[in-house]
Amino acid sequence: MVVLNVDGIECRYGSVKVLENVNLTVKEGDFLGILGPNGSGKSTLLKSISRVLKPHKGAILLDKTDVYSMKSVDLAKHMAVVPQESNIGFNFTALDIVLMGRNPHMKRFDMETEKDMVIVKKAMIQTNTWQFADRPINELSGGEKQRVIIARALAQEPKVLLLDEPLTHLDMINQIEIMDLVRDLCEKERLIVLAVIHDLNLAGRYCSSAILVKNSTIYAAGPLEQVLTSENIKRVFNVNAVVKKSPVTNSPYIIPLSSMKTACDRKCSIHLICGAGTGTLIMKALVDEGYKVTAGVLNELDTDSETAELLNVPAIIESPFSPITEQKKLQNREFINQAAIVVVTSVPFGIGNLSNLEAALEAVKKGTKTYVIDEIPVDERDFTSGKAAAIFAELSKYGAIFIKRPIELPTLVNATHDLIKLQASKQTDIPGHKKDTLTACHQKNGEKA
Amino acid sequence: MSASKVETKYSSRAKRWKLIFFGLVALLVVVILLSINIGTSGISYSEILAIFGKQIPGLNSLIDPSLIHGNNETIILNIRLPRVIAGALVGAGLAAAGVMYQGVFKNPMADSYLLGASAGASLFFTLAVLYAGTLGLTLIGLGMFQIIAFVGAVSVVFFVYFASRVGNKVPLTTLLLSGIVVNIFLLSIQTVLQLRSGKDVMGIIAWTSGGGLTSVTWTSVLSIIPFVFGAAIIAYFFSKDLNMLSMGDDTAQHLGVNTEKVRQILLFLGSLVTAATVSISGVIGFVGLIIPHITRLLIGPDHRILLPTSTVLGAIFLIACDAVARVATGASELPVGVVTALVGTPFFMYLLRRKKTSYSM
Repeated sequence: MVVLNVDGIECRYGSVKVLENVNLTVKEGDFLGILGPNGSGKSTLLKSISRVLKPHKGAILLDKTDVYSMKSVDLAKHMAVVPQESNIGFNFTALDIVLMGRNPHMKRFDMETEKDMVIVKKAMIQTNTWQFADRPINELSGGEKQRVIIARALAQEPKVLLLDEPLTHLDMINQIEIMDLVRDLCEKERLIVLAVIHDLNLAGRYCSSAILVKNSTIYAAGPLEQVLTSENIKRVFNVNAVVKKSPVTNSPYIIPLSSMKTACDRKCSIHLICGAGTGTLIMKALVDEGYKVTAGVLNELDTDSETAELLNVPAIIESPFSPITEQKKLQNREFINQAAIVVVTSVPFGIGNLSNLEAALEAVKKGTKTYVIDEIPVDERDFTSGKAAAIFAELSKYGAIFIKRPIELPTLVNATHDLIKLQASKQTDIPGHKKDTLTACHQKNGEKA
Repeated sequence: MSASKVETKYSSRAKRWKLIFFGLVALLVVVILLSINIGTSGISYSEILAIFGKQIPGLNSLIDPSLIHGNNETIILNIRLPRVIAGALVGAGLAAAGVMYQGVFKNPMADSYLLGASAGASLFFTLAVLYAGTLGLTLIGLGMFQIIAFVGAVSVVFFVYFASRVGNKVPLTTLLLSGIVVNIFLLSIQTVLQLRSGKDVMGIIAWTSGGGLTSVTWTSVLSIIPFVFGAAIIAYFFSKDLNMLSMGDDTAQHLGVNTEKVRQILLFLGSLVTAATVSISGVIGFVGLIIPHITRLLIGPDHRILLPTSTVLGAIFLIACDAVARVATGASELPVGVVTALVGTPFFMYLLRRKKTSYSM
């Protein structure tokens, strides 16, 4: 059983600590993803393991032998490295490059033997590079070149394979093929694989375990599912992300939503009456603007209800393809009552969701600021023989604001929000706005300040 | 090329390399003989062969002494032969050093004079001629100037190397830049010295900017043999490592090369052999830069064949250029460094143009 141990290492560049107190144990057959933001120390960790940057403290042990006590040639028999970028000075052919992978196994004056050729050819066929074996390396594309470098690493017949962002120059098919190959080698030939990967989804799909590196130390480590959580991603990458399990690949996949830096806290609540995908972009825009967004009533399986789930937007959900029940209507009214602003999107109205429109009218009558997005004329999406159109007329009469283009909405909403804040601080009434909502908004903002 | 052909090509590689190398060695012998024939006093090939035959015990009784005229034996053995051998050694040494430097620095602009060997030798030579020119001392049969130039070359290279040290590593870019600026600095001092001396400095200029093999003796030839052969043979031990160094230091190390050690050894050997050759021939440019490139264009970048082939080609090239320098302008000889550039450049440009794809080292 081959084991790689990183035992409490600390690395420095000059006086700057770039890694601190890193402990790690990787066994054969493990495919470890080293994940983390730029500059967190991932590449340094690989450098340290591969005997390029000696740690100031701690040790790297390969089968209990300190790699820094080994000769380079002995370590090269066991460990191969695929660097981030290869700058090859001379115009060697692809085959020349892969043959160099046999160097640690050759004596100083040996020429490559038949056996070496067999190993090299196998590595090149595995990486799909044999067909251009005699082409000069510097005339190959980035992806081809990278595959040649991976073939060279395989030609070393290593027990440990280190990959430093190996997929940077590769297109989708190359990324998947290379990762498939590496995972196969890892599983079938019991390699230890450590890979710095930026694409969390690829890491999620191929790695068996992962570490998250943050500020020069390991923030989280363990089986992939335990490491790749939205909470960890938020803490390490400063990104709000949704982690789901793909039903197709049965691996976690990550949808980044927004960077936490841009989101500001607007504590006002906005209720969205939408459906059939008309609310998706608006929902995302309002969440990004920092509003507390609610939605309803939506049907399950509706695009907007899926969006709401992804964005953690509380929504009142009715069963698929069913008319809205009395109970859901009440719950929705609850949300509307808490909201400072109500938005109605250009959703088609039928008998099933007409009650949403009626709820919007109630809100307008109570004085809640209401925006109606009238992108598509109501006649074209009224499937209630005029009932919806009639309510639209009422909405207009009671002061709802109709806008033609959804893109204008965030600006208007922001203006309203600011106005509400301003007016609330002067404790005066604004026509068309409920006093208690204003106060609620103000109080919340006050708490924050 | 089909994949199976690639395998055949690679499996017969060792044989092909041997053939190329020994073919070039044979060519070198021919060039040496041809070159001995060239000179102001016409001496026929049969006479040359008779003179050589006479030196071989057992064979000398068979040689008809009437074939050899006057003092031709002295001309051949003590003037032309040492000069041709010196040409071979200097050319070989400069080309081998050029391969080592280009390989270590991964830089196509690198040549054997990069770290200041030429500038150091030139400055010390200038000083010696200007301020000790009348001494005319010899030490163990070597000209004082040769020793002074050698010391100058070695000491400047060592200064550049140790001045570039950071911790216990020598960053390549630092080394390269130090070499370039020290070269310029020393050249300026040398120019000031020459201008202020008020003496006739034509001889110095010829030595420092073109070199020549006019004043070589058997002693000076013998004195550089260990350097040239030693450096070329030891460097050959590391030719595979040179291949891997071209992948970058980290990668070379991951492939099992002790990069720092290999680099030190090769820079040391390259500098030593350059210093030795400069000390007997003056500064002959172009050979250490262009011969490695020409060889690479002809046979590819693998140092296992590049290094030996460049070494032999360097020897052939310099003998030929020296022959041209001897006879080209009649009365006074051209500095051989001028000929190397004049002959070498068109040939190199021709090879570059002929190569269909772009040439990257």
